[in-house]
Amino acid sequence: MSPRIGVTGVGWSGFTPTTAGRSYKELMFEAASAAYLDAGVDPRTDVDSFVCASEDVEEGTSIFDEYVPDQLGAVQRPVQTVASDGLFALATAMMLIRSGVANVVAVEAHSKASDILTPGRVDAFALDPVLNRPLGVPALALAGLEMRWYLHASGRTSEQCTEVAARNREHARSNRRASFADVDGDDAPLFDPLTTHQAARSADGCVVIVLASEDRTDGSRTVWVEGIGWSQDAPSVESRDWSRAVAAERAAATAYAQADVRPGDIDTAEVDDTFAYKQLQHLDALGLTELDTASVNRSGGALGEGYLHEANGLARILAAVEQLRAGDGRASVVQSWRGVPSTSAAVAVLKRDR
Amino acid sequence: MNGRRVAVVGAGMTRFVRRAQETGKELAFQASRAALDAAEMTLDQVGAVCLTSAPDAFDGVHRKGDYLADGAGGWNKPFIRTYVGGGSGVFTAIQGWYTVASGQADVVLCVAEEKMSSCQPHPQGAFLTIFDNILERPLGPNLLWIFALEMNRYMQRYGLEKRDIAAVAVKNKRNAADHPAALLGQADISVDDVLASEVLAWPVQRLDVSPISDGAVAIIMASEDAARRLTDAPVWVDGVGWNLDSTYWTNRDLSYPEYVENAARMAYGMAGITEPRKQIHIAEPYDPFDYKELHHLEGLLLFDKGTAPEAAAAGVTARDGDLPCCPSGGLLGVGNPIAAAGLMKIAELFWQLRGEAGARQVPGTPERGVAQAWGDLMQVGTVVVMGSDRAGGLRGSGLAAMPHPSPLRPDPSGQATQPAAMLGPTSLSDARFRSAAGAVDSPLDVRYAWDPGDAVGAFLDGLRDGRILATTCASCGRTLVPPRSFCERCFRSTDAWMELAAIGTVETFSICHVTWDMRPLEEPELPAVIRIDGSSDGGFLHKLGEVAPDDVRIGLAVEAVWRPLEDRTGSILDIAYFRPRERTLRRELVAAATAEYMP
Repeated sequence: MSPRIGVTGVGWSGFTPTTAGRSYKELMFEAASAAYLDAGVDPRTDVDSFVCASEDVEEGTSIFDEYVPDQLGAVQRPVQTVASDGLFALATAMMLIRSGVANVVAVEAHSKASDILTPGRVDAFALDPVLNRPLGVPALALAGLEMRWYLHASGRTSEQCTEVAARNREHARSNRRASFADVDGDDAPLFDPLTTHQAARSADGCVVIVLASEDRTDGSRTVWVEGIGWSQDAPSVESRDWSRAVAAERAAATAYAQADVRPGDIDTAEVDDTFAYKQLQHLDALGLTELDTASVNRSGGALGEGYLHEANGLARILAAVEQLRAGDGRASVVQSWRGVPSTSAAVAVLKRDR
Repeated sequence: MNGRRVAVVGAGMTRFVRRAQETGKELAFQASRAALDAAEMTLDQVGAVCLTSAPDAFDGVHRKGDYLADGAGGWNKPFIRTYVGGGSGVFTAIQGWYTVASGQADVVLCVAEEKMSSCQPHPQGAFLTIFDNILERPLGPNLLWIFALEMNRYMQRYGLEKRDIAAVAVKNKRNAADHPAALLGQADISVDDVLASEVLAWPVQRLDVSPISDGAVAIIMASEDAARRLTDAPVWVDGVGWNLDSTYWTNRDLSYPEYVENAARMAYGMAGITEPRKQIHIAEPYDPFDYKELHHLEGLLLFDKGTAPEAAAAGVTARDGDLPCCPSGGLLGVGNPIAAAGLMKIAELFWQLRGEAGARQVPGTPERGVAQAWGDLMQVGTVVVMGSDRAGGLRGSGLAAMPHPSPLRPDPSGQATQPAAMLGPTSLSDARFRSAAGAVDSPLDVRYAWDPGDAVGAFLDGLRDGRILATTCASCGRTLVPPRSFCERCFRSTDAWMELAAIGTVETFSICHVTWDMRPLEEPELPAVIRIDGSSDGGFLHKLGEVAPDDVRIGLAVEAVWRPLEDRTGSILDIAYFRPRERTLRRELVAAATAEYMP
C-alpha cells in the first residue's frame, strides 16, 4: 500500500523478576541506548518521533508520559504515549512514518512491575467500577472463566494447555533473556481450570524498537513490518465473546491484507501466551493452527520470558526480529493482548528479504 | 512518503458541567453520537476510533481507554487511546490526522472524554501523583503550586501587571456566555472581579483558574476523497505539531514555553506558514489559567515575548479584535474537562472556519486558525493548524504570504446555529450526588515501592549525610542537580560526581493559602524552585521557611536547613526547608495576611 517500513534497531534491558536498585528510567536508558546503537542512529538528531506505551496505575504516576523523554534522548522532540500494549505503539509509529511526519521513530515499552506491592488491586481497578468491582472478584478470575468457556466451545483440553506451557518453557531454555524456563512449585489450580504453571509470571524489563522508512534502512539486515492491524472487542465482561479472540481475528485480517499474506505463508509466530489457553485461542484467531508447534513462541513467550505488562508485544517483536535476522524463517506473525480484563489485540506481519 | 490530505467533517460535544450524572462511557457516547448526527453519518462509516483522556485517576478506572471504548464507538474497531497530559485534547486531532493521512483508515471518530468529578474528595487529588515519586511528592505539592511558580516567573521576567493578565479571564468568561455548552460563561464579569477573588496560591487567584468539569467532545476526520463525499464544507488540517520537554521542570526557565514554540514550528512548517501573525486569523490557545493563554500566544509566535498581556488588555485578542483568541470562551469560560477541553478548541475552529459559530462567530469569516494545548509538568505543547475550504493551499505553494481575510466577507451559511449537535449531560448538584443511591465508593489503595535508581539513590544517601551531590556531563559541561546517571541532552552516561554547597537562589516561588483539596491553610506555604549554586540549569522543588512571605523575592539567596541527623531518612525531606542566607531576613513564620499579597 505504501513504501516499506523496517525495524533497524532493537534493544532491551531487564527481563528478570525484579530489577532492585535500578529505576525505570535507568532500564529505559539501557534499552534505548542498545537500540540506537543497533540501528546506528543518534536519537538527538536522527530520530523524528518517539512513541511509548504505559498506563498510569501500573507506574504509580498520573500522566506518566511526563517521565519518559530524558532517558530516551527525546527531550524537546515529538513524544506521545499510548495507553496500551507496546504493539499499539508500534502501530502508531507505522502511521507516523506512512503519514510523512517522520522517517525514523523509536518505540518504547517497559515493565517495572516489581515496584507494585499490591498488583491484584491494580488489576481490580481495571474492572467496571459499578457492576464488577464491588463483587470483589479478582480480575485474574476472568481468565479462569474465559478458559473454561474456550475449552468448552473449542473442544480443546486442559492437558493441551499444560503441554503449551511446558513447550514454551522448554523453548525458553535456549533464550538468554528467559528467566522462567523453570518455575517453582507444583502445578496447582489458580482459577480452575487455569493452573499456576499455565500463567505467565510478572517480570521487569524494557524493549525499545527503532523503525525507519525504507530509505533510512540498511538493506539486508532490515526486518520489514509489512502489515499491522489492531482491534477491540467489547470491554464489558457481560457482552464480550468468551469463546474466540475476536479482536485478534480482526487485527489479523487487517495485517494480513496489508502484507498480502495468507496464514500458509507464515514460517514462525510469536503470540500472546499470558495464559497457556490464550496461545491456543490466539493461534485459532490468526489461522495458524496448522503451524508446527516448534515454530510458535520459539522465544518461550511470556510463559518463558515473563509477563512484561505493556512491553509484552514488543518482547514478541524483539524475539521475531532476532529469529528473522538469524535466518530462522522469512515471514513471522507477532500478536499481543493486554491481559485481563482487556479485549484489545494487535497483529503485525514481519518479513526479511530473500 | 507523503500522507493524504485530511479534513474535519463533523463535531459534537456535551455540555461541560461540574458533575455529570452520566458515566464516562455515557459522556463519550453523547459526544460521539452528537458528532455523527451533525455530520449525518452512522458509526458503520467509521474505520477507526481515536480516544484521548488525561489521568486514569479521574475516572477511577485503570486502563480507562479500554473501559471507555464502547462508549466512544470503538467496539469491533481499531481503537487506540493516546495521552500527553493536558495536551491530549488537541492531540486527539493529531492522532486522527495520522490515522487517516497514513491510509490506515479513511474516516475516523476522535473522542476526548474527562469525568473529573469521580475523583473524591477533590479532583485535584488526581494531580498529587503527577509529581516525581521520589523527589517531589514527599513535599506534598499541589497542582496550584506549579502554575503559581510559573506565573510568578513569567510576571517577574517581563514586569507584567496582574490587571493585564486578568483581562484574559474576563474576555473568555464573557465569550463563554455565548456558548451553549459553557459552565462559567458570565457576560458582566470585570477585571476588578478577578482581582478581588480569593488568593489561592499567589499570584493565582480563584478567577484566574478554569473550573473542574465533566464532559466529552468528538470530531470526525476524513481523507480528502471521503471528506468531499461527506460534506460541502470540510475544514482541513493543514499542520500538526507536538513536542515534549525534559521531565526536570525545575531545570528550565519557566518564563517561556520553548516546547510550544517547537510544536508550533513543526505545525507551521507542515502548513506552509511563514508569517503566523499574518496567516493565522483566529487562535484557540490553551487557557487553564489566564496567564497561560498569554504564555502560549507568545510560544505560538503570535506575539513577542512578554507582550501578549498588554495586547490582551488593549482588546487585540477580543472576538472582534485583530486576532480573536478563544472566541469559544476557552477553558476559563466553557470549562476544563481536561482532554475534552482541548478537543473543544478544535471543534470551535471547525465551527468558526465554517461560519457556523452563531453568536460566537468572529467577524470577517476567518480562513485559517490554530488550536493549541499544553500539559504534563509544564512540558508538552500540541498544535493543530486548520484552514477552511476557502483558505486555499499554503502547503506546497511556495509559502506565499496569506492576506488577512476581508472583514466584510459574507458568511455563506448565514445565521447557522452552533454547536449544532449537543447532547446532555445531566448536571448533578453535590447534594444530590452525595444523597444518591448506588454511588460506588472505591478506594484505589495501591501501594508502590519505587527504586530511586543509581543517581537519585546516591543523591538521597547524600542528603542523609547533609550533602548535596551532583553529576556532571563532560560533553555539554553541565553540572546536574538533581543528579542523573545519564545526560538527557547529550544522551550519554554522566561522567563524575561532585558535591555542591547547600546554598542557592530562589528561581520562583508562590504563597499558597490552600491545601490540595481547597481547604484554607492557617499558615501559608512557600513552595519555591531553588537553584543550587554551581549547578547549571537550576535545582529542585522545595519550601521556604524562617521568612516572612513579603520578604521573599525571586533571586533571594537561601541555604538549606537540615533536619537533625537522627531524623534523616535519605529523603528530600532531610532538608527541612530553605531559609534566607541574610540573617536580617530570618524570622519565625508569621501568618500571611492575604490582602497584603494581593497585587
